Amino acid sequence: MDHIRNFCIIAHIDHGKSTIADRLLERTGTITAREMKFNQVLDDMDLEQERGITIKLHAIQMQYRAKNSEMYTLNLIDTPGHVDFSYEVSRSLAACEGALLVVDASQGVEAQTISNLYLAIDAGLEIIPVINKIDLPSAMVESVKHQIKDLIGCKDEDILLASAKADLGIEDILEAVVKRIHPPQGDPEAPLRALIFDSVFDVYRGSIVYLRVVDGTLREGDKIMFFHHGRSFEAEEVGCLEMKRTRTGSITAGGVGYLIAGIKDVHDTKVGDTITSAVRPAPAPLPGYKDVKPMVFSGMYPTNAEDFEDLRASIEKLQLNDSSLIYEPETSTALGFGFRCGFLGLLHMEIVQERLEREYNQNIINTVPNVEYRVTKTNGEVVLVDNPSYMPQLGVIEKVEEPFIRAQIIVPTEYVGNIMKLCTERRGVYKNTTYLDPTRVDLHYEMPLSEIIFDFYDKLKSTSRGYASFDYEFLDFRESDLVKLDILLNGESVDAFSTIVHRDKAHEWGKKLCVKLRKLIPRQMFEVAIQAAIGSKIVARETISAMRKNVLAKCYGGDISRKRKLLEKQKEGKKRMKQVGRVEIPQEAFLAVLSMEDE
Amino acid sequence: MEPDRTGGTMKKLAGADGPVGLYVHVPFCERKCAYCDFYSLENHGGIDAFPDLITREIALYADDRDPARVRTLYYGGGTPSVLSVDQLRVLQDAFRHSFRIEPDAEITIEVNPGTVDPASLAAYRSLGFNRLSIGVQSFDPGALAFLGRIHSADDARRCIRDARDAGFANLSIDLIYAVPGQTDASWYATLDEAIALRPEHISAYSLIVEEDTPLYVQVREGNVTPHTDPREAALYEGTMARLSAAGYDHYEVSNYARPGCRSRHNSSYWDHAPYLGFGPSAHSFVASSAEGPALRWSNVRSLQGWSGMIEKGERPVSQEEVLSGQEVFDEGIFLGLRANGLDRARVERLSGIRFTGRQHQTLADLVGAGLAVEEEGRFRLTPAGFVICDEICARLLVP
Repeated sequence: MDHIRNFCIIAHIDHGKSTIADRLLERTGTITAREMKFNQVLDDMDLEQERGITIKLHAIQMQYRAKNSEMYTLNLIDTPGHVDFSYEVSRSLAACEGALLVVDASQGVEAQTISNLYLAIDAGLEIIPVINKIDLPSAMVESVKHQIKDLIGCKDEDILLASAKADLGIEDILEAVVKRIHPPQGDPEAPLRALIFDSVFDVYRGSIVYLRVVDGTLREGDKIMFFHHGRSFEAEEVGCLEMKRTRTGSITAGGVGYLIAGIKDVHDTKVGDTITSAVRPAPAPLPGYKDVKPMVFSGMYPTNAEDFEDLRASIEKLQLNDSSLIYEPETSTALGFGFRCGFLGLLHMEIVQERLEREYNQNIINTVPNVEYRVTKTNGEVVLVDNPSYMPQLGVIEKVEEPFIRAQIIVPTEYVGNIMKLCTERRGVYKNTTYLDPTRVDLHYEMPLSEIIFDFYDKLKSTSRGYASFDYEFLDFRESDLVKLDILLNGESVDAFSTIVHRDKAHEWGKKLCVKLRKLIPRQMFEVAIQAAIGSKIVARETISAMRKNVLAKCYGGDISRKRKLLEKQKEGKKRMKQVGRVEIPQEAFLAVLSMEDE
Repeated sequence: MEPDRTGGTMKKLAGADGPVGLYVHVPFCERKCAYCDFYSLENHGGIDAFPDLITREIALYADDRDPARVRTLYYGGGTPSVLSVDQLRVLQDAFRHSFRIEPDAEITIEVNPGTVDPASLAAYRSLGFNRLSIGVQSFDPGALAFLGRIHSADDARRCIRDARDAGFANLSIDLIYAVPGQTDASWYATLDEAIALRPEHISAYSLIVEEDTPLYVQVREGNVTPHTDPREAALYEGTMARLSAAGYDHYEVSNYARPGCRSRHNSSYWDHAPYLGFGPSAHSFVASSAEGPALRWSNVRSLQGWSGMIEKGERPVSQEEVLSGQEVFDEGIFLGLRANGLDRARVERLSGIRFTGRQHQTLADLVGAGLAVEEEGRFRLTPAGFVICDEICARLLVP
């Protein structure tokens, strides 16, 4: 156990986490440079490589002969970088004793890095600061050192300098991991206690559990039990996670690895649960994690109504590897049968949508995302509303509360004005400002979550030329003057366009939405009136005049096939539209509402 | 594609003793017009062999013991009037030999005013033609020049007079509007003059820019600007209004007739009635029957390819299509709405497919919005509906 080190890497997107991980794998001989087919091994989903983010947790084991000539087993447990996935960060932290804090020498400390860092410090992890990309011409090593010292109160010589690209300082990092991170504590003789930090689903093997053994030893053939539901299974296969799963037969206290136990339902292997021995159970489980709550909700509908069952099967499969996704069937008058899904955040939503499209070949329409509202009715009843269509009638609402978040934004001083203006527009309540150094400030706001799930991040980036970084955490529910805004087409409400907005913004939003829809809905046989309404009050109106001409004069002699083929093409186009009342709505209209601020 | 049921005789194909329509495509013109995408050649090298080849093609379909009855016979093109009277006589004899042409059959020939004279018109009468379709297109010299027509406005006026003198009691005039550069006033002058000449039938087409035509190239290169949609729509509406005021019945998107004078041949295209086409690129159709499902096929679109197959004793078919019930249903909808009205019961009977609730609702909405009227169980488009006919059809096709 003295020769095991469990650690993770905390870094902002693009600060070089994956490149450093790759270099560590190379240097320890876990993988040769030639085997490194992709530049970055840890991100093995296509989507992750494209987006440069790590969505799902991974772990990998390395063997390292230190300068003291002794062999050490190093378990690197990956962490996701994005705020949507901060709960996953806490999962990885609980399985580690130390963390590399990687900061880009040209960018400095970013908001997400700070929040993850605080999580790590709270979890009692040893922090090893690493300044990466020191060979860049724009590197500001001294200034970044200063920021790091302010943050964690370390000394100059504690900070390692590296360039993963240029392969500089990698040996120092490995040595620091061995020397500075404590070996795992734990009693190999005590009853088994292992923490589940992730699980994936394999069609042939069932649920594959990634775990950290804290006490005792997990052996193949053992009868094991899950604290959460109390059910027992037999450990069929146990091993460590090298480039692929390597069967070892056992894992002792302090070790990290995987377990296969013929578990058919991934929900039986709840992340954060403790596994113990069914024969000699530990008296109490390890501290688990907070249950993850979805924050953002959106309807997902198949483009073609016939594909509903297909979509259901795909979401079910996807959920096996993404337990943070929740869904339930719902119906929309405009879109037919679909699912209301709950996501951790907007990025999570986009990822789920893209995975459904790419990996499962689903064509889907997403409705405008919204948060969950807490509505108190005049009769005292409290209901949670995660779909604007289900908002109670105006007359029976006593009050509406919405989730607020604590937002932290780190930005160069020159953009502070822009950012504060943006936050105020988004109903933010200013809290305080801290200067990280003379050129960068750390702004704190309290804001409604609903105001940031909608392109806030893009706005933030564009008003700061990409320099602002942002992080948030849930604060509480607060009462707000919120109303449901409906869109009517020729007098009929289209539920998929309904939104809940602050009363002061309802007018402007309604106007914008009407204008946008006028541009997106093609001319039809009849005039189409687009109206925005709060209750029965119309707040905006646009009109699409009737189509002026669409007829081909001749029917090509006896060549009826040609005409039929032309019309069948048009028919297919119309089939892809959704009809509400007499109005045909193209799918782009449903999607475009997602990017309202573009114009 | 290997021809399949085209192997039967015409009578068998038509599925019953009901009469059929015959079409012969004459693929020669003195000069190709800039807008035309029908198959036609300016090189008349093959014209001498043409009547004999048609005769042989007819023989490939005919049943000499029990010839099919024919209710319409139509010579189109191209320019059928580039054939000599003797050549036309060979064709007429061939049709008469192999088919039973009914005494009151409508026998039409398309003529270009630049290729006929009183003598040829009189000869057409004597060959049995009883209807002329005259390619006037315009009385505006500017428009005629733009369209690349070989005749003048006066040629057209003279042709109509000569046709009457030759005894033709059933005349049709083809006109084209929305010609780039043409004023609205010029079009209405053409239309008014056509009406004043009192033909039994007028076809008024808006100019369509078809791919693979010289006009298409001109438009693509920016030398010619087509009319805008609103302007073309206004011209179409004006045309419909003037013709109906003059007593013409608007019975198809672009066709207008005095009572009792609709083109019986063209109507068979729009009524799912059987027709058999001869000559390169000609199209044929037989309705579904005990013999099999509805069938469309078209001939090889090349004089050489077409004649080569006939010389080998093969039917010169290049494409054949067996229509599914759904296709018959869809055709029934758009052909009905484009022409004489949509008869739901008939379309359901022909196709075996029922209208859905949504389709019934759309039809009711059309009536409510003044785009269609329901008369004697048929839905007919109003002028406002005709202007957006394709939109209406496509929408109604969605089940």
